[in-house]
This record gives sequence, structure tokens and C-alpha cells, in this order.
Amino acid sequence: MPDYSTIGKSIQRIDGIDKVLGKSQYIADIDLPGTLCLKVLRSDVAHALVKKIDVSEVERIPGVVRIFTHVDIPGINGYGIIVKDQPALTDKVRFKGDAIALVAAENEEIAKRALKLIKVDFEKLPPIYDVWTALKEDAPAIHSRGNILTVSKIKKGDAEAVLNQAEVVVSRSYTTQRVEHCYIETEGGVAYIENGILVIKVSTQNPHYDRRDVARVLGLPMNKVRVIQATTGGGFGGKLDISVQCFLGLAAIKLGRPVRMVYDRQESFVATGKRHPFFIDYTTAANKEGKLLAVKVKIVGDTGAYASYGPATLVRAAVHATGPYEVLNVDIDALCVYTNNPISGAMRGFGTPQMAFACESQMDLLAEALGISPVEMRRRNILQQGSITATGQKMNKSVGIGKTLEAAWEKALQVMPGLGDERR
Amino acid sequence: MKKRGYGIANMWYGIGNTANHNPSGAFVDILDDGTAIVLTGCADIGQGSTTVLAQIAAETLGINIEDVVVVAADTEVTPDAGATSASRQTYVSGNAVRLAAKNAREQVLAKASEELNIQAERLSIYQGQIWVGDNPSGVMIKEIITQCRSEGVLTLGHGSFDPVTTKLDSETGQGIPYATYAFATQVAEVEVDTETGIVEVKKIVAAHDVGKAINPQNVEGQIEGGCSMGIGYALLEEVVVKDGEIQGPGMSTYLIPTAMDVSEVYPIIIEEYEASGPYGAKGVGEPALVPTAAAIANAVADALGIRMYELPLTPERIIATIKRK
Amino acid sequence: MAEFHLEMKVNGKPIVLDVDPGLRLLDVLRDILHLTGTKEGCGEGECGACSVILNGKLVDSCLVLAPQANGQEVITIEGIAQNGELDSLQKAFLEAGAVQCGYCTPGMILAAKVLLDHNSTPSRLEISKSISGNICRCTGYTKIIQAVEIAASRIATKEGADHA
Repeated sequence: MPDYSTIGKSIQRIDGIDKVLGKSQYIADIDLPGTLCLKVLRSDVAHALVKKIDVSEVERIPGVVRIFTHVDIPGINGYGIIVKDQPALTDKVRFKGDAIALVAAENEEIAKRALKLIKVDFEKLPPIYDVWTALKEDAPAIHSRGNILTVSKIKKGDAEAVLNQAEVVVSRSYTTQRVEHCYIETEGGVAYIENGILVIKVSTQNPHYDRRDVARVLGLPMNKVRVIQATTGGGFGGKLDISVQCFLGLAAIKLGRPVRMVYDRQESFVATGKRHPFFIDYTTAANKEGKLLAVKVKIVGDTGAYASYGPATLVRAAVHATGPYEVLNVDIDALCVYTNNPISGAMRGFGTPQMAFACESQMDLLAEALGISPVEMRRRNILQQGSITATGQKMNKSVGIGKTLEAAWEKALQVMPGLGDERR
Repeated sequence: MKKRGYGIANMWYGIGNTANHNPSGAFVDILDDGTAIVLTGCADIGQGSTTVLAQIAAETLGINIEDVVVVAADTEVTPDAGATSASRQTYVSGNAVRLAAKNAREQVLAKASEELNIQAERLSIYQGQIWVGDNPSGVMIKEIITQCRSEGVLTLGHGSFDPVTTKLDSETGQGIPYATYAFATQVAEVEVDTETGIVEVKKIVAAHDVGKAINPQNVEGQIEGGCSMGIGYALLEEVVVKDGEIQGPGMSTYLIPTAMDVSEVYPIIIEEYEASGPYGAKGVGEPALVPTAAAIANAVADALGIRMYELPLTPERIIATIKRK
Repeated sequence: MAEFHLEMKVNGKPIVLDVDPGLRLLDVLRDILHLTGTKEGCGEGECGACSVILNGKLVDSCLVLAPQANGQEVITIEGIAQNGELDSLQKAFLEAGAVQCGYCTPGMILAAKVLLDHNSTPSRLEISKSISGNICRCTGYTKIIQAVEIAASRIATKEGADHA
């Protein structure tokens, strides 16, 4: 038999032609006649109960079709991929950007004007802007379940005992920042009713999840909700969550007219998830030969007002905390903590770029303390066939870290003349 | 003064959701003329999954890629493929499509076996033709499909795949969180201006074990894009929040790398075959970015002889760190 | 507000419109002329997704008001393929794998076109500079720069052939 005919070949991207011609239909390019424009009123306070929403002035504006609030949600007013803790339209504000009211208007200008005239009475609650305050026992609870959303633990061997006796111990604290996905296409969608089925076309990374939560929030059977992914201008994790989907569905089923909603760049920043800021305390122990003996890691992630992918981010961070190294004694705790900050969610790497920063800094610090080169320090600890990971998994399949290390190093020596031989 | 430094960082990355089911399903329909339609819920967000899944279907069916159409990510039409997330679509949906195509192919081969009077195990399909062992039979797939239709047989395939994982123990975290892992090593060369605090990333070598690279150019594209995003993460990007409010929410204050900010990237593809992956593939989407900031931070520490513990390594922070020393 | 009488050429075709003078060129192209290949990314001239060629120069069409385009010649992504054949940059972007999500692609191709129209043998640095107002979050620019190099070399070969 001849070799593979297409596997391993750099086949040109199937969607490429339309993209270079400018013909691909992203959400903002879809032209539906008679479409209403949707805009959301977002909170400018961080933590408060919504006592009253006065729309009397607004509904008199010509061109305003309808204002929706939490009382208009026909199904269960809570969505989320892991924990269904985020209301589509809220009666309790948990961050500056929480959605309070939805305006449907004949055009964008009118919708924007309407937003300014909606009056909201708040009963303010004390806001929590950092994880340490949120973790205090007497801290006000942002959600009824308390401020600690999840604790992920990985325990193996006796890290404490090894740390107390090891020849070299390095202990440092690391902090990482909040990051925006900044795909060039912001979130957006259109919706309409066709043959009794709610159709939502949307820029998304997960249409089937979207369908689940739209059906839940709108109280519809799942087979009456059709979610179609439009050509999507980047995601990087930011389009895994519900953004415009429930708003579009609500307005389309209540008004029976096609509706459209595209976030501007500011709303995309304010309303959607960010990369989690992490606070990492990392202690590593090694022997004189540079063999890792134990790691003890505490990770606190600020997940902001709603869970989004927070629990998945923190558990993945915990699992990957040792890096691709074999360590027999492991003591890892990862806390996912609610605050009244903007939402943190999935972003390319789910907590592992944060952990790589800490873990790989530790490797260099240990190498320095031991007088071993950074590359050699890594060689002595990388996972091999048969290695056991922190979670007790035996590596018995494709384990390429030895090859990537040697290939990268060899190439680096070629293309980076300053990287001297003494560093081998 | 400008100081050079070099940094290395490794990473590993579990493919698919952590210690959780994350199945994907696919349907394949081989049509009368020997072309095929693939139905998958997999959302292509620019990473190229539609192309990769078409390649996997074409290879498995033994037809040309031009003869495959992938219909993706429409809940009324396509089966659930789970999220485009966790670097999972090549591995998980790739397997689902492979299995669906295999299922359809088996029906074609069963009919071919009847027609040619040769055991199905000895038959395969390559570029639209039935092969017997190492030799083309001269019989085209289209002829077999025609025969199927004349007997009222449709050639439909379905497949689904769920990575093999276990739950993690709630107290000890012990278990099997992922069926397979991608690995990578990146080496960064930087130049730090000690007067301005500006870091210039000169070069990044990025070696990635992705399993079999279904589409090497796409893999390189992921690696290069990941390195760029990693440069932003290491040096430029921070959403500043004050009293719960994002400061300057827009692209004029939040700067991401431009063509002038990125370094030369040397992608190296390491193909450590993964038996459970489609044609040995694992994944690359997220791994591309994971070690970049770490490698840059180590390179900056090497250049300055001072280590910093807070990202991003902005000029202000670098100057303040130098002054504190 | 009084309508503005706008006359311009778009992709070689004369266009005559009465428009709200507050409209951006971007809105005229997308909403009135339905040339949606020109994208909006940030609305503040930072990302370059809305780039078009105005009298031979690259502009962010979100920063140009409709009256400013009066009497001018506009080229958008829809206007660069000739007689159904892709422009050399469009071909090179496909070949080099310079397209991922594609949202920056139209603006990026036009930025490169302006460069190559003025300089058919650009250096890597000149290419990077010429596209530095166009943000791509997917590719890391490597393959975009390669695509521009491929297109430049093809143009040079073709010009050489034409003069031979």
C-alpha cells in the first residue's frame, strides 16, 4: 500500500478561499431584514441587590420595542458550563458588568439611548475585590455556597517530611495577571424563529453547550433550540461561555422578530471571562544530584463573580503543577475563589501557563543552587516511559518530553550563538 | 546597557477535559458518486479543525480530500462534539470522525468483498479505488456504491469517542485525569535594555510533541501563534482592575503583540506516536502557548542576574527590580 | 441632519450616495454597499481589521468619515481579485498558511498590498512595519510575513518576465 494520501500533508485550509476573498460570513456580516438591535444594561456597582428597575420612561421612546429584566426569564435563570451560577439577567449584582436589563430596539442608536434612561435602585452590599478578603471567615458570601468554589488537592507520599530533610529547598511566591483573549472578532449573534424552532447563529466554541443552557434558561425543549456556529473570528477559550446566546433567544421568542447583538470592544472586555490571576506559593526540594524529591504548592485563583471555567482551570493547574517531571512526594492545593471582580474563565492553557511560570522558575533556581545547568537539571527529572505522575498515573504511552528537550536544545545551540557550550 | 539572556522551559498538557467524560460523535455518509459528507459538532474557530477532520475522513475512507465535505457545528444537524477547548478536537473528534468513516468504509468493503469474491480483510480503499493487498483492483469505490444502492443499501457510518480517564480522588487527587499528554520545550533568547526596561524577544525555539502531525503547516501555525500570545503574556498584557472595574477596556490601552513585537520562531514538530489518537495524533492548540512566558522569564532572569516573580515583566517592573538590587 | 452627497469610486466602480455625514467610511462600505469583507474589530483605529486602501494609502475605515472619502478612490478586499483570479497576495496567504480565523485577513492583505505596490522587494523588517497596524491574534505573524515574501517574489518574477 502507498503511504498516507492526506495525513501528514499540509493541506490548504478548506475555509481559506472565502477568508482571503472577504466572503466568509461572520456574525456581523449577516444581514437579516427587519432585525431588532439588542443592548444590555450592565451594572456599574460591584455587589448589590437589585431592588427596583424603572423602565417607565424608556418604553415611551419611539423605536424601543421591549425591555426585559430577570422577571421575564421563562426558564431557570442560571447558566454556566460547570456550575449554573450566572443569571442571564440578574436581581443580584456580583460584578461591575453584570447584566440587569435587556433592551430590544429598532436600531442601535435607540437601544443605546434607552440604556441611559433605565433607572435601577440598588441595595449595596460590601464588595470583595481580592481573594484574601474573600477567604476570610466573616467575608460576605457572594454566592449562597460561600466564596470558596472548589478546592483541588493532590497528595502523594510525604512532602512535608522530605522538605524538612532535603539538601536543597527553594521556596518562592509567584503572581500572575488577568489577561484578555482579545480575538479580533468580538462576541455576537443573531436569532430568529423558523418553523417553530428558535435558531441562534453565534460566534462560539461550543454550540452544543450553548443549546443546553439556552434551553434551560428559556424553558424550551432542547430540540426546539438550534444553535449554528457562524464563521468565528478566534476564541482562545473566551467563546466557550454563554455571552449573547440567552439574550438573543429571550428576545426572539418573546418578540417573534429576528434580533441581533454584537458586543463592541469595550463590552467584550467588561462582560466576558479573563485568564485567571493566580497567587502561587511554590516549594521544591531536591537532592545534591539535582533529582526532585518533593513539591508543595498552594494556588489561589481569582475566578471573579461567576464560576465559568474556574473549577476546571484550578484542577488542571493542580494536576500540572509539578511540570513534566517525576516527583514522588507531592502536596498541592488549588483554591478557586469568588470575588466581585470581573469573571475569570477559560483561556488557552487553563491555568498551566501560570504554573509553568512558577515551576520552571523553580527549576532554574534549583539548578543555580546546585550548580547544575538549567537544561541538565531538567534532563534529570523529566517524565519517561514508566514514570508516575503526581496523580499516580503511569506514563506508558506517548511521552515525548525527552525528545522535545534535546531537539529544542540542539536547535537553540545552532541559532543562538550566545548560548555557550558551558551551559550543557 | 543591553543584556542578552537565554531561558528554557518545559511543559506537559493533558489532552481533553480533566478527569471527566468529554465525548465526541460524528456521522459519515458516502454518496452515490463516491464523495462523502462528514457531520461533526466540532467548532472550527480558526485553528483549522474542519480541514484536519476532512483529512482524517478522506484518509480513512480512501478518497481524495476534495471529495469530502465537512458540515460542522450546527446542533440540529451535527452530533455533539463537545467544546473546542482543552486542545481536544484533533484527538477526540478526530477519533470520532475516524471511527465513523471506518464504519462506513467497512460497509463498502463488505460489498466489495462480495463483488470481488475476496476476503474483506485483504481489501482497502486508496484514492477512490479498491485495493487488494498492495495492488489496485481496478474497481472504483463508486462502482461498489452503485451496487450497494441497487440493493437498497445506504453507506452510512457513525462513530463516537470518549477519552479514557477516571475521576480523581477528592482528598488525594489520585487517578487518571487524561488519556494522553502533549509535551513541549521552548528556549527563548532575549535582550533586555537596562535603561528602559524594555525586553526584546529575539528568538524562540519551540519543540512540540504533538503525536502525529495531521497537518504540519497548521501545527506550525499554532506554535507560532502560541509563542506570540506567550510574548504578550510575558511582557505586555495585563487587564488592570481597580475596585472591581477594568481600567481602559479597549485595544488602545490593552496592547497585544504586533508584527514588530514578535520574535523569530523556530517550530520543531516531534511526532511521538499516540496509539489511542487518530493516526497517532495528540494535540497542540494550548501547548503552543504554555511554556513561552516561563522561558522568557527565565531568559530575563539570565540576562539581568535578577529574577522576577510577577507577570507581566513590564519595563516599569524591570526598572524597579534593577533599582532595588 | 442634512444628508451628504457622496461621490467616490469603490473597487473601480463609481458610487453616488446621499448619506448621513456622521457615518464612517466603514459603515458606508459594510451597511450600504454590503462590502462586508472589511471588518470592525475595535472601532478606534487600533486593530486594522477595517483597513482599506484610500487613494493608494492604507487607512482604518473606522476613523474616516464618509465625507472625507468624497472624490476619492477606495479599494477593499472585494476589489483585488482580477477577473475571478485571486491576487498574488491572496494566493500566497493560502499557500503559506497565513490564514487562521481570518478576521484580520482582509485588512492584512490590503496592508501588504500597499507595501508591495510601493516596494516590490521589501525586507522582513519592512514587511513587519507595514503590517504592524494590523493585529492578528492567531498566527503570530510568521506565516503572514512569509506569505508577503512569497507574493513579492512572484511579482518580481512576473515583472521580470514582462520586461523580458
